Amino acid sequence: MLYLFQVLNGLGLGMIYFLISAGLTIIFGLLNFVNFAHGAFFMLGGYLCWSLTELTGNFWLSLLIGPPAVACLAWVAEAALIRRIYRLPHTFHILVTVGIALILQETTIMIWGPTGKNIPVPAGLQGVVTLWNFAYPTYRLFLIAFTSLIGLALWYLLEQTRFGGLVRAGSESAEMVSLLGTNIHRLFARTFALGVGLAGLAGVLSAPIRGVHPFMGPEVLGIAFVVVVIGGMGSFTGALLGGLLVGLVQSLMSTIWPEGANLMIYGAMAAVILLRPYGLFGRA
Amino acid sequence: MVPRSGLPGGSAAVVAVILVLMPLVLPSSTMATEILIFAMASLACNLLLGYGGLLSFGQGIFFGSGAYLSSLVMMHAGAGLISALLTAIASGAVLATLVGALAIRRTGIYFVMMTLAFNQTAYFIAYTLSDWTGGDNGLLDVPRPPLALFGATLADLSGATAYYVFVAVLFLLVFIATVTVISSPFGSTLIGVRENEARACAVGYDARNFKIVAFALSGAVTALAGALYAMLLNFAPLENIQLSMSENIVVMTVIGGTGSLLGSLLGAGSWVIISDILAEVWPRWLILMGGALILIVLFLRGGLWGGVESLMQRFSHQNKGHQGPDDAPDEKDESV
Repeated sequence: MLYLFQVLNGLGLGMIYFLISAGLTIIFGLLNFVNFAHGAFFMLGGYLCWSLTELTGNFWLSLLIGPPAVACLAWVAEAALIRRIYRLPHTFHILVTVGIALILQETTIMIWGPTGKNIPVPAGLQGVVTLWNFAYPTYRLFLIAFTSLIGLALWYLLEQTRFGGLVRAGSESAEMVSLLGTNIHRLFARTFALGVGLAGLAGVLSAPIRGVHPFMGPEVLGIAFVVVVIGGMGSFTGALLGGLLVGLVQSLMSTIWPEGANLMIYGAMAAVILLRPYGLFGRA
Repeated sequence: MVPRSGLPGGSAAVVAVILVLMPLVLPSSTMATEILIFAMASLACNLLLGYGGLLSFGQGIFFGSGAYLSSLVMMHAGAGLISALLTAIASGAVLATLVGALAIRRTGIYFVMMTLAFNQTAYFIAYTLSDWTGGDNGLLDVPRPPLALFGATLADLSGATAYYVFVAVLFLLVFIATVTVISSPFGSTLIGVRENEARACAVGYDARNFKIVAFALSGAVTALAGALYAMLLNFAPLENIQLSMSENIVVMTVIGGTGSLLGSLLGAGSWVIISDILAEVWPRWLILMGGALILIVLFLRGGLWGGVESLMQRFSHQNKGHQGPDDAPDEKDESV
């Protein structure tokens, strides 16, 4: 029973990691750079959730407003800053996004203070669901269901819509897509906003479970990197399976060896690098 | 970006003068010591980034482990100053070889992500081994033993000035060693690998080995800096091995200027001075560093030192009134 509990926990956690990593991977696929501010945008989503829940007393409103707000900020950052550096080597993209992450982290401390905050589980989802003699927190069940829906929607968006087609085509050759008459700058901006918005969404969803604190950005970024290194960068399936694997390992290990739970996921990454340097689903 | 082929002793002489002036100009010799320690770490980061083109977010691994291991051998094995520093250097080299060998299995973005993930690994290891590292509280009461050789005490380093002189001498040695490495055939090949790895491999160089050796050297120097830092503070905090330490080292290197060793001194210097002045008044000074990083990428890719150099060039042009033959391409440097 304990293991079933932890497996479900791992699924929920894994889906959160999937959302974060999918955002990272979509941005990387099209824009060909790694967004080092991804963790900071995740944190921002969490803090917006706290503020909006405090302000309105309604978690659902924060779920509705938070992620788009983070996406808007990303859109502004893209237009003001990131757009100017696409032609530079990737080292410079990393440095600029590291700069953005630092600014976001310090601004967060200025606005919300240096200590962490807890977010109450939303009103309708408190308590547990009991099935025979097995009880499981309602919010965590909701989390698994909701993130699965988002995952499906994301799959539909990328595989079945015109926008998704452009993103995938652009990942193969952005230049060709541009030559065929698509406004590539707008596509880049939208994709960046979408990817970062996913991080924001993950931030909002995980806030009632883990709370928020201003230094959570790098931690989340590290985990997202593990997921994409395991799953293979630029692979949607890889992000899903990598996310679930990391979530399950972390949550199962936390009963077996609590102190080493975080260590194990990095061990898993090292093993994948040694055995399959391009990740489980990565393109060489 | 190619290092100029000036006198090898020239920049070392400049550094020596700066080392003498620093404690006179700065408010305290402790601050001057801190600058040199971070300049050392930045120098090591510069060797990787500026010359090897390897952006490592794992420098904190070496900095932190150097601090921990040197402190532990002093506290538990009764090691003296020199053997503690040698332990740090050796452990830094070994760890960096390990991290380097794994991370350079992939190039580009993957490489950078892996160094970051390894830094997180090291952090969690340090956090988990709290019996040894003190975990969140850090390792307290790190000693600063006197400089002794074969049982004979040469100098007591407990005073701030004496310790500064010791660190300054080590810094000068590390600086000269780095200049020597960079101007050696190894350094030229490393730059060649950075510029065109496929070509370097095609002419018969094993690019991987060059990168791993660069990593080992960088790790050794960074660990030395970490050990010196622990002795300066008499304390080895968990922050030493955190990702933010790696980030800080990269940021000061870039702000100072990649590809110029004096830039590292400038970058670490401005970082420590700004943090020291602003920490009391405005604890959120890191925002400035984030902003500076972005501005440097947008407008001043040579970093502060690159800016100083182009100013000096402009000045000397005006004085001479004519353009030297090798000055002309400088204007186009950025597009290369």
